[in-house]
Amino acid sequence: MKKYRNLLTLSVVVFVGSLLLSFVTVQDQKDPAPWDVPEKYVKMENPYAGDESLDRVGKILYIKHCRSCHGNNGEGDGPKAASMKTKIHSMTAEAFKKQSDGVIYYQSIIGRDEMPNYESKIPDEEDRWALVNYIKTLK
Amino acid sequence: MKKTILYILLGLFVCTNLFAQDEESADVVEKDKPVRFAWESGMLIDQQTSHIPTVKTLEMVIQHKFGSIDNGSSDLWGIYAPAGNIRLGLNYVVANNVQIGWGISKRNMYNDFNAKWTIFEQTRKNQVPVFVTVYANAAIDGMNRDDVELFNFEEPGQKFDYKFNNRLSYFAQLIIGRKVTNALSVQGAVSFSHANFVPQWHDHDRVGLHFNGRLKVSPQGAIIFNYDVPLQIDGISEQHPDWNSTNTPGWDGPYHPEPNLSFGYEVSTSTHAFQIYMGNSPAMLLQDMMINNNTGIDFDNFAIGFTITRLWSF
Repeated sequence: MKKYRNLLTLSVVVFVGSLLLSFVTVQDQKDPAPWDVPEKYVKMENPYAGDESLDRVGKILYIKHCRSCHGNNGEGDGPKAASMKTKIHSMTAEAFKKQSDGVIYYQSIIGRDEMPNYESKIPDEEDRWALVNYIKTLK
Repeated sequence: MKKTILYILLGLFVCTNLFAQDEESADVVEKDKPVRFAWESGMLIDQQTSHIPTVKTLEMVIQHKFGSIDNGSSDLWGIYAPAGNIRLGLNYVVANNVQIGWGISKRNMYNDFNAKWTIFEQTRKNQVPVFVTVYANAAIDGMNRDDVELFNFEEPGQKFDYKFNNRLSYFAQLIIGRKVTNALSVQGAVSFSHANFVPQWHDHDRVGLHFNGRLKVSPQGAIIFNYDVPLQIDGISEQHPDWNSTNTPGWDGPYHPEPNLSFGYEVSTSTHAFQIYMGNSPAMLLQDMMINNNTGIDFDNFAIGFTITRLWSF
């Protein structure tokens, strides 16, 4: 009888322990490595720079494709951000904003690792630059 | 009546060629791009939209309709009802604005093979004012019929010989759509459905009209609706207008399918579109809806359903 009681106690301890452990998630996100952006993109000119007619388009594309990870304001605090292996840095930071439009284009459209490629989802070049323009306005 | 249908088809052919000429001249004058964000998905509840993703995109479609809500809380307004319909589908975009697909439905285990081609896209400068899309499918009834005794109406007393041919049905649709404003997109369509095997007295052919649309209420949310009307055209009906129970024993018709009304809400993200809705037809396959729907637009007949699409690009 005592043997069964010990077995039952052990089972309860294991069950409760497992239950408590399930609430503990490892928050060990790594810092992103520096981007290796091809020269072609670094020097790429933004043909739609300052085109205000694309503001609405850029905002819609950002909400549809980017917001779930990068958050409403580009702070990297979207609902899916916590599940990423890599930290998502703020797009409002000075370090991000001082990059050229072509670099932001490469990071946003071509992507790498957990940052998906959006070439097929945003096929129109004008729309891609609309998104870049909108990202640069995030505060 | 056949002449009328012929004239309609000829008219549509001429119209599409007029658009083609517009497009060619537009190329010469100035490149006019298609309008953006007319639809979020190729599906609108049960219906098709003119939207086709980019080439080499695979789309998975999950459609689910629960049972009707008429039993109230006893079966959680149909959600726990045994009745209901499910369709799982895969679509692949083989060329620019050309998509092929396959789906399998719970109801009658229909396997449908379909194709959609958006011939013209509405352009931003209105050089092409509307979307023009054609959609067609062929479906195979996959039910096990071996144990089903079917009455042979042509030769009473003889067992009905159910052949593969009896399992086939077809649907073809011409869709004209327009993004009216940034919030509102609408479509109208005409369709022709044919089933090789229908219950006694019912028609094998059905012409239908379809109206559907989307009203955006937030960047990712929209109110959506569908209205499908099977037309009663005596000229192509096999049911004689003079039939009655005296001159035609067993007749208690006429048998005409009911229209379908569905409305709901759509939420879309980068790769998903999620639509939750209520509709009165249990069918999902469009020819099944246009030929066999016998549940009218009555509050008790409505069922809750959802449609989910998921995209993968290659």
